[in-house]
Amino acid sequence: MAETQERLGQFVDPHVLGRISNLKLLARSVVQGFISGLHRSTYLGRSVDFAEHRAYMPGDDIRQIDWRLFARTDRFYVKQFEADTNTSLTVLLDISRSMNFGSEGITKLDYARYLAASLAVFSQKQRDRIGLVTFDEDIVDFVPPSAKHLEIVLHTIDRVKSTKAGEYRKPLQKIAGAIQRRSIVVLISDLYDEPEAILDAVKGLRYKGNDLIVFHVLDPAELSFPYDGAANYRDLESGEAQPIIPEYLRDEYRKLVQEHISRLTHTLGDNKIDYVLMDTSTPLEYALFHFLSSRERMTRTR
Amino acid sequence: MSFLTPAFFLGALALAIPVIIHLTNREKKEIVDFPSLMFLRRIPYRSVRRQRLRHLLLFALRCLALLLLILAFARPFLESTTAASALSLGPREVVFVLDHSYSMGYEDRLERAKDEIRRQIAMLSPDERASVVVFSDRAEISNQPTSDKDQLRAIVNGVTLSARTTRYGPALKLAKKIVDESSLTRKEVFLLTDFQRLGWEGDEDVWFPADTKFTTIDVGSPKSANLAVTGVILERKKTDRSKNASSSVSVRERLIATARVTYKAPDGDPPVETNIRLLLNGRSLQSKKLQLAPNSSTTVSFDPLTLPGGVSRGTVQLDADKLEIDNAYHFVLWPGQSLNVLSLDGNRGRSLYVDRALAIGERPSFRLESKRMSQLGAADLAGRHVVLLNDVASFGAARARLLERFVKEGGGLIIALGEASGRNSFTGDAARLLPAPLGGSTDRARDWGGTLSYLDYGSPVFEIFGAPHSGDFSAAKFFRYRTFEGPISSGILARYDDGAVALAEKTIGEGRVLVWTSTLDTFWNDLALQPVFLPFLHQLIKYAAGYAEVNAWHTVGEVADLEQFLAVAGEDTASDGERKVDLVVSSPSGTRTIIPPSEERALLSLSEQGFYEIRQAGSGSGTAVAMALASNLDLTESDLAKLDPEELVASVTFRDLSAAAPAAGETVADREGRQGFWWYLLVAAFIALAMETILSNRLSRARTVVSAVG
Repeated sequence: MAETQERLGQFVDPHVLGRISNLKLLARSVVQGFISGLHRSTYLGRSVDFAEHRAYMPGDDIRQIDWRLFARTDRFYVKQFEADTNTSLTVLLDISRSMNFGSEGITKLDYARYLAASLAVFSQKQRDRIGLVTFDEDIVDFVPPSAKHLEIVLHTIDRVKSTKAGEYRKPLQKIAGAIQRRSIVVLISDLYDEPEAILDAVKGLRYKGNDLIVFHVLDPAELSFPYDGAANYRDLESGEAQPIIPEYLRDEYRKLVQEHISRLTHTLGDNKIDYVLMDTSTPLEYALFHFLSSRERMTRTR
Repeated sequence: MSFLTPAFFLGALALAIPVIIHLTNREKKEIVDFPSLMFLRRIPYRSVRRQRLRHLLLFALRCLALLLLILAFARPFLESTTAASALSLGPREVVFVLDHSYSMGYEDRLERAKDEIRRQIAMLSPDERASVVVFSDRAEISNQPTSDKDQLRAIVNGVTLSARTTRYGPALKLAKKIVDESSLTRKEVFLLTDFQRLGWEGDEDVWFPADTKFTTIDVGSPKSANLAVTGVILERKKTDRSKNASSSVSVRERLIATARVTYKAPDGDPPVETNIRLLLNGRSLQSKKLQLAPNSSTTVSFDPLTLPGGVSRGTVQLDADKLEIDNAYHFVLWPGQSLNVLSLDGNRGRSLYVDRALAIGERPSFRLESKRMSQLGAADLAGRHVVLLNDVASFGAARARLLERFVKEGGGLIIALGEASGRNSFTGDAARLLPAPLGGSTDRARDWGGTLSYLDYGSPVFEIFGAPHSGDFSAAKFFRYRTFEGPISSGILARYDDGAVALAEKTIGEGRVLVWTSTLDTFWNDLALQPVFLPFLHQLIKYAAGYAEVNAWHTVGEVADLEQFLAVAGEDTASDGERKVDLVVSSPSGTRTIIPPSEERALLSLSEQGFYEIRQAGSGSGTAVAMALASNLDLTESDLAKLDPEELVASVTFRDLSAAAPAAGETVADREGRQGFWWYLLVAAFIALAMETILSNRLSRARTVVSAVG
């Protein structure tokens, strides 16, 4: 228990949790759970939300018969209510080599670890089940969703190391096969691939009814390309180097990155996948608060 | 100045290196890790290359250093001063090679070429010599090298257009001969032509020495359009009336003439419209309109017309264009010839198949007369072309001598053997008519008849059967035939399947004897029932008679045998075939040539286009022309496609490799002196590199200071 607290302290800033404690991470679609919670269930059960009347069938609990309706119609009807339930949250954490980049102290991977840990703790508080998958070119660690897995999740996050180049299609399709129940799936990555290829990789998850949220973690240097002076630029993923004169390419680079973000927003949005750009220079609690509050607003309006 | 190893100039490509260095900056050893170059790679490299150059002085120094290194390695040297002076000083030996093939008649090409020669003649200094080589497909030197400008001008003025084609090889060989034999130090050859591609085969094996200057003067046009009549097909048919006529005097023939017209012009030129006319004996009989697209051909058929008697001269002519000479195609139509055949046999009725076969045939027709052997007299052989002995049992010594003399004088004798004619038929003088003594007969009835297994397709008798599906002799069955007793070394034209001789030939004097060892009816074989019998018999008689069809036209450059024309026209009245009078030949241009009787054969070399008229001396000029001969151009020259003058020059000139060798009397020191430039260039390159190093160091230092301050 003490170890868990220690890890909590390592990855979860109390400010972060404090900032978002009033919010809820709600599943957009109905999910399958066993215990009552915040999310709409696929099953009808006990809650305050009336769903429909149904003709009484032998075997139904006679306590559910609507006697008032019987008085009016002289027939037996059973009242049914919508059930609220808990759900699973699976965090897919990209640990490819490109994530191991940071221009201002914190690397993208560290930022992603904080984000994953915060979401895990946050969901645990909602009584949701927590799972974690780390992947690069293949699945590295897989912690199945469980209400008791917070400690393992935090432990896995703690020992994450990026060693290989990344890929999306192969690991994400494997994960889609491994997740049995509809749940909330959070992908945290720097998304260095064509938006269509990323969509192709995650659509397996989406089509199985999961609620997919994509956190696009980028370093400010990746957005603004602030370098000066010609040099050989080495690709962290492939190791290939290329001579670059940044001042000549900067404008065009920025344009391409913005275009990439814009295409991601539209491509994923069109497929009902939430897309969130996280700049590592932005405090985590601020970014998370911003996302959760906007999501909550959207969920209410639906 | 030249270079020993000019291949090093390829190193000039290295000049791109400093440019790349400058554009991509010098400090690219520093490595910056970046998550992904995905976007950077998408930015085209051109956006970097198009940037302005920085540190232009540094850049210039690097380029200069590289250039100096390349020059040094290319080993510059000065050519020998003595050789140079030999090329630039002294009187010249000039050869003008002038094309006068008929394509030079296109517009005013020949005149322009002559004008250019006159201009060059005017520029000759008094101690320089010149000669003129005039060529078409043949070349001739018009004069010995001379300094007399008037003589040269007169020669040039006298050059006229020929009717021949172009060939550069002979002319260039003559020009080379002149310059080789010249003692003057400077030699120059001027080739004045329209550079027709067809005249150059590329392997003429002519090389002008390195000290000869070869100058081409192209008088051709880059784009030429030319119409030409490229061929005529003449179809002659006897009219029905004349077919029934028994006399050959009243024979009238219908002529259907078809002409082929070609238009060569650059693609994209508009179609050309022209008229085509058919002229007979100078009168225009028919005219048709034509429209031809560039590089296309068409055939024009004229309406049938009745030919007048005697020799007719015809021409198919197009409207004039820029090259008019090939717009006419001439032909001469001779009356159909007739071969006079005398058939001698013992029993009438045996020559039924021969009679029927010889009744058919127009070119030539056959006039057959049948007689019994016993009726043969000397008068019967007069005017005969061929005598056929069809299974004759016997003939006396007198008749044998008569026949032998007939053959010696050029007549043809065909002996068909059979039941009646055996070894006893040809005894004494008659035996001399055969190639070998006769033996007995062979009976092949038991094995269902023999067949012909060997035919000499090289002989005129079987030549027409040589091609596939041209006649099947194997279907004929030979049940009996005669054999020769003695060996026959040559002149066997056909054999049976058992090796026995079927057809043998013997030459006696100017005539020949052909011996057919079986019958010419169905008694011993069924050849007479086969489709090949008729053409076989026609060929046999034509070969025995020495018949040759007269060509309707010849081509310029050919040699025509006038004896053939005399024979056909019946002008040769001498009984022994010897000509007694001179032959006078008038060329189309009016030049007269006399061929005396002393010349063994009356041969005429054709050099002009048009009609040659042939008369016997003594016949009045007012009488109708008895003999005429049509001469047409070689139409390969009508294709005016051009050869690149550079191609020809490259083929006939070459650099003498020995030129780079030290000149006689030159010392090693002289040679080293002429090649010593590389050393200075190398030093200069090192100086440039040193300056570059200093400058680049200063620039880097200045940059470092600025960065530190920043």
